[in-house]
Order: sequence, then structure tokens, then C-alpha cells
Amino acid sequence: MHLSWASAGRVGAIVLVSFLLQVSGLGQLRLLGGSFDLIPLAVAAVAYYSGSLPGAVTGFSAGLLLGAGLGQALGAAALVLAALGYAVGRYREIRDPAHGLAPIAVAAASTFAYLLVTATVSFMLGFEGAVSPLLIRETFLTVLLNSLLAMPVFWIVAKTLRGVLDDDPFVRRRRRARPIEAGPIGLRGLDV
Amino acid sequence: MLAALVGVCVLLLTAYFGEGAGGIFHTLGRGAQVVLSPIEEGASRALKPVRDIVGWVGDTFTAKGENGQLRAEVAQLRQQIAGTAINARDAAQLRLMFKMEKDSEYPAGTDPVTARVISQSPTVWYSTIQIDKGSSDGVDTDQPVVTAGGLAGKVVSTTGGSATVALITDASSAVSAEVMPKGVRGVVKPQVGNPNDLLVDYLQKDQKIEQNDTVITSGSTSARFESLFPRGIPIGEVTRIEPDEEQLYQRVHIRPYADLHKLDLVQVLTAKPQVVPETETAPAVPEVP
Repeated sequence: MHLSWASAGRVGAIVLVSFLLQVSGLGQLRLLGGSFDLIPLAVAAVAYYSGSLPGAVTGFSAGLLLGAGLGQALGAAALVLAALGYAVGRYREIRDPAHGLAPIAVAAASTFAYLLVTATVSFMLGFEGAVSPLLIRETFLTVLLNSLLAMPVFWIVAKTLRGVLDDDPFVRRRRRARPIEAGPIGLRGLDV
Repeated sequence: MLAALVGVCVLLLTAYFGEGAGGIFHTLGRGAQVVLSPIEEGASRALKPVRDIVGWVGDTFTAKGENGQLRAEVAQLRQQIAGTAINARDAAQLRLMFKMEKDSEYPAGTDPVTARVISQSPTVWYSTIQIDKGSSDGVDTDQPVVTAGGLAGKVVSTTGGSATVALITDASSAVSAEVMPKGVRGVVKPQVGNPNDLLVDYLQKDQKIEQNDTVITSGSTSARFESLFPRGIPIGEVTRIEPDEEQLYQRVHIRPYADLHKLDLVQVLTAKPQVVPETETAPAVPEVP
């Protein structure tokens, strides 16, 4: 991603819109007994298309907005979402998935990791109350619902970031071939 | 870069938990709420039709099942009304005999301010909502918040035009309560992950509690440890009693009356009920349908 005012503005708009949609709309909808969580999905989508560093910064900003906007502990959500953005971005940089349905798997894994780490951080911050076993069901339902929402969210994010990304996300890519590790010494390491 | 961001987060957390409510980071948070609350309010209004449509579809599926259950409940409540009316008449006559003043009870004199919910926290670990009324409307911290069903929570912070409410399902919530009709006192606490199931803890073990008993806020008569909630706000009804021989106290599960997932409008009780001197006339027995 090119670092510019335009890219920062587009990422900022994605974060703000997903925050508003989540806290004022989607968060109050119950489907199948669970609810959507758009924020980790939006952070994962930005990180997926733009890389680890923009992903971490986007996650940090979204977490800060969440904490400040809802009167929660500042820094807790930022910590979790920054790590999530970085991890998704690194996954993209290292594995370079080219399958068209990869966003669904990324969304499911990101949502699950986000909920799990949020629970861990809450306990580390001194939470002492009772936890219902239904939390597990709620977690899986949120993962399921976010997976259903993954394709449209990733498409919207890709469309929004299209002009500021290094690669066009809508051009069908082939997965990069692994460099040859065996064969004649002169050819090893060459991308042939 | 990631290390720097993590470091900033840890510093923020340390500072946030280390400072008081008037500290710089709490103030920054309130400033952000001042900026964001009008936008959230606009977004909430714009998205209301979508929420209503999805809610309508969900409600249609559940309405048929609830219909039969509610009919049975109405029949049971009619019987209870008759009993309550007789008890109220007896109580009024006894207060007259012993020259007692009437307890301050909800909802008389509570001066409710109706507010619209403009946003809701997305995580189960923080059950908070934002409302569109703030300190300029008379809303202040620690004031109780109720819905049509019963107790919803209390105000935890305010700005000029908005306020944050911690729901009774928030992990930090604890409400002193009474299980009626025996008047057994305990503390209502949430269970993270299941907003339809609250716990009432520290109930005297020798007191018998039954299913469907009503749980209300107990209030407090102590001037030193005055309760935030006036006496008599309905909280929920008992669904399950935990049999545990080893504990000193008994614990029961309750289903809250307030539907905390579908909060559109709430009321903030900006005043406490006043103590009302008993008059010479006993209350009339309400007509039982």
C-alpha cells in the first residue's frame, strides 16, 4: 500500500464506517442467537489486502476508537486488534493465498482469534465474574455469522482500497511458485 | 512497529487503570464520546428500519411459541393480583395502626428522563450502551436506568448530550436485590456470555426460594451505605436454584425482565423516591379481571 493521505483517508473511512455500523446497527441484531462483529472483520480485510504494517496500524486505530467511543478501557481492544491486523497481514505476505474463497477462512480464523484473545486480555485485566458455558456457543455463532459476511465485506474493502494498493485486488493472480531448492547448483534459489 | 504499538497499548492500559475518573485518558474518552455521539445518533436512526425488519422476522418466529406461554402467565398473574391487593390493604391498615411511614418505592417520585439508545458495545465483556441524554438533561453518574420490563443498568459516565450506561449484564455489575415474596436478600451478578441468565448470590440458605419468584431491587435504608437503586424495581424471575450443600449461601439463576438485546428506549431515574407519609385512607382493592 502506498503511504499517503489518500490511503490513510480510505482506511480511516473503513474503520469509522465499520465502527458506526457495528455499534449502532449490527451489534443489536440477533440471528440464530448470535450477533455479527464487523470490527475484526474490517481490520482483517484491510490487513489482507494491504499487508502487516498497515494492518497493525488499522487494528490499533480501530481499537482506540472502540475504547474511546464506548467508554471502555483504552488500549485493550487496540492491543488485540493491532496484533490481529499484523498477523493477517503477515499471513498474506508469507502464504500469499490466491483462492477466491480465502477471505472466508481468513474471516473465520480472525474472528475466532479476536474473541479468544479478547477473553484472555479481559481475564488478565482482572475480570473475576462468572462465565457462562453459552459463551462458547456465542463465540462459534459469531464466527459463523462473520464468515457469512466475509465475502461482501472483503469485496467492499478491496473496492475502497483499489487505487492505493500495490496490486489490484480484482486481478486474478496465480500463487507465486516456490523457488527451486533442489537441482543443479546453478539453478538453486532462482525463480524459474 | 508492532512492538511500538503494543508498547503504546500497554502504557495506555497502565495509565487508564492507574488514574481516577477525572484523569486525562478518561477525559479524552469523554471528549471522543462528545464528538462521536451525534454521529452515532444519526447512524442509529438511519439503521433503525434495517434493525426493525430483521427484528420483525426474528420476532415472528418466536411469537407463536410465546403466545401460549404468556396466556398461562396471565392466568397466574390474575391470581397473584388478587392476593397482592389483599396484602396491600392489610399493610396499609397495619401502617396506620403503628403510625409507620410508607417506604420510598419505585416508581413514585423518580422523575424519569426518557432516552434513545444510540449505540451498544459489541463485546460481551463490556455490556454498555450509549444514550442520547446527558448531564444537560439532568442525567448524572450512578443513576438507575430502567426499561419497560425492569432494571437495565446504571449511568457510569456522562457528557453534555450523551451518557454511557453499564447494563446489569456488564461484568462489573452487582445489584443488591430481594427475592419476593419472602424478602430474601442477595446480590445480582451477571454471567458473561449469557445475558438471559443472571445469578443471585449470597442468599440465606435457610430461606426457601421457589421457581418463578420475583426478584426486585432491595434499595437500602442505611444512610451510610445508601443503595444506588430505589427499592422495588423489578429485575427478573427465578428460573433455577443451584443445589450446593457445601456453600454457606444459596445461589439462584434468574431471567431478567428487560430484553437487553433490543434496547431502543430507556428511562434514567434522575431522582430518588421520596418518603411518603401514610394517609388516613386505605388503598382501594383493584378490580380483578
